[in-house]
Amino acid sequence: MSKSEYHRADERRFLDERGSSGPLAPNGLNPATIMEKAVRERIVDSYFYKEQCFAVNEADIVDRVVEHVDFIGGVYGTVQKPTPFLCLAFKLLQLAPSDAIIDEYLSFGGEKFKYLRALALFYIRLTRQDKDVYTLLEPFLEDRRKLRRKGRAGTSLMYMDVFVDDLLTKDRVCSTSLWKMRKRDILEDLELLEPRVSPLGDIEDLLDEMDEVDGNGEVRNGDGNHTDGDDDGSSEGEVRSRRWRKSSADRLSPQGGDSMDIDGPDDRRRSSGERSP
Amino acid sequence: MSPSSIVIGRIALGQAHIIDVPQSIVQTPTTQSASVVKMSAKDSSAYGQAAGDTDFRKKYDLDEYAAKAKDREAAEKEERKARWEAKMAGKKYYKPMDGSETLTTARNATQDFRKLVGTTTLVPAGAGVGKRGRSAGFYCEACDLTFKDNLQYLEHTNSMQHMRNIGQSGEVHKATAEEVHARIELLWERLQEQKRDQVISLQERLAVRKEEDEKEREEKRRKRKEAEEKRKLAKEEAVKVKTEYGEDVRIEGEHDEDDMMAAMGFAGFGTTSKK
Ligand SMILES: [Zn+2]
Repeated sequence: MSKSEYHRADERRFLDERGSSGPLAPNGLNPATIMEKAVRERIVDSYFYKEQCFAVNEADIVDRVVEHVDFIGGVYGTVQKPTPFLCLAFKLLQLAPSDAIIDEYLSFGGEKFKYLRALALFYIRLTRQDKDVYTLLEPFLEDRRKLRRKGRAGTSLMYMDVFVDDLLTKDRVCSTSLWKMRKRDILEDLELLEPRVSPLGDIEDLLDEMDEVDGNGEVRNGDGNHTDGDDDGSSEGEVRSRRWRKSSADRLSPQGGDSMDIDGPDDRRRSSGERSP
Repeated sequence: MSPSSIVIGRIALGQAHIIDVPQSIVQTPTTQSASVVKMSAKDSSAYGQAAGDTDFRKKYDLDEYAAKAKDREAAEKEERKARWEAKMAGKKYYKPMDGSETLTTARNATQDFRKLVGTTTLVPAGAGVGKRGRSAGFYCEACDLTFKDNLQYLEHTNSMQHMRNIGQSGEVHKATAEEVHARIELLWERLQEQKRDQVISLQERLAVRKEEDEKEREEKRRKRKEAEEKRKLAKEEAVKVKTEYGEDVRIEGEHDEDDMMAAMGFAGFGTTSKK
């Protein structure tokens, strides 16, 4: 299928093109088979999909998210009903939006509508190359907004940064198997990725600034005032995390913990650290 | 006038009679062969016809009708053939597109489909035979079909058959990043407006509530005062009555007889009265 001006209103042709003829996603996967067959069938059979995803284009997706998505999740309940979130993700797989459109969802739209950002993040994880997944997703580890999530166990509280972390570390999210990405440090070794730069700015500048602020002759060695946290190693992220305990940087501290446990904001923030640095 | 416009009419007295009908509105393939006559603007009235012309009835032309019928027959024959061919090829036949179709668009979120259709409704058995025609259930005007429930109806409106019947191609415009940006902006603005309205209505509600509360309090105060007044009055009355009886003031006329008798020397009845 060459690049057409139009989308098909329904998914028939999209699903018929599984196999070799359909266009592949940037990560080399066939978008029609990224979700599992049983899940796909549940989506296509759902009333929400038939009604709200028919003839929808990239702009209408925003309407639908704003109107219908107030929780994330895959299939839920005893009948394994697909969430509107999952249905719209499936629709995105069919629409194959450009990077420019994805950026609108993520940034301009994502600031305003958090579930639009969540949807774009999920879609990126499913279709983009691993180096792009890291660079596109990591900035949103700073997004602390709450999300609701519906799963087999009912509704639970979620956070955007935890969701991003799940997408980067787990192998199954929202009833969808995530394809296996290479680890971040491998991509760094291959020079496909720059070491992650915190949105707080350059680490050296930050440290200099800190020294000046701490100043008064006393030279701090990075972990003096903080006793919590594991005392292992002193990567740049480590040092920073100790200094900025209350800041966003602390997520880089390699502390364990299941990111699914939501005990409180502080525990939660620390819990998402077990990721390739 | 675009070349796709069709013209029905004929030349009379050197004047062109034009009915300009866009093809997307009227689908009459048989008239496509009719000659297209350009009309000069000065001959036209607001109705696309020269003013004062009463010649329009002459459009009914037997020859033209015969030609139309012939064309229609040919078209029907063509369609039958195409249907048969599609069937032989194991495919479903759809009316061929002729370029006049509009793009298919998503359901308007503000015009909620569910409200239109209602919830799943079962129709008593035997209410209608098959889907053809209008019967109890969800009726599709364009296709003249009736469906038992809204799910079937919805599936039908998503079908190629239906889209062709309402003149849609089943193709959807691909949005650009700019369009997506604009949509986000629009939706955000709308949301802010709703919030503002909500705040206003909330404030209004609060104001109304306050007024009502005030009235209610006023009413209570009034009642309380009234009750107090009553109590006070009753108390005063009671005191007054007591003091009046204390002074032994009799109610007028009550003991007049006794008084009279006393004045006349009688002490009462039944003692010395019988003489
Ligand atoms: Zn129909």
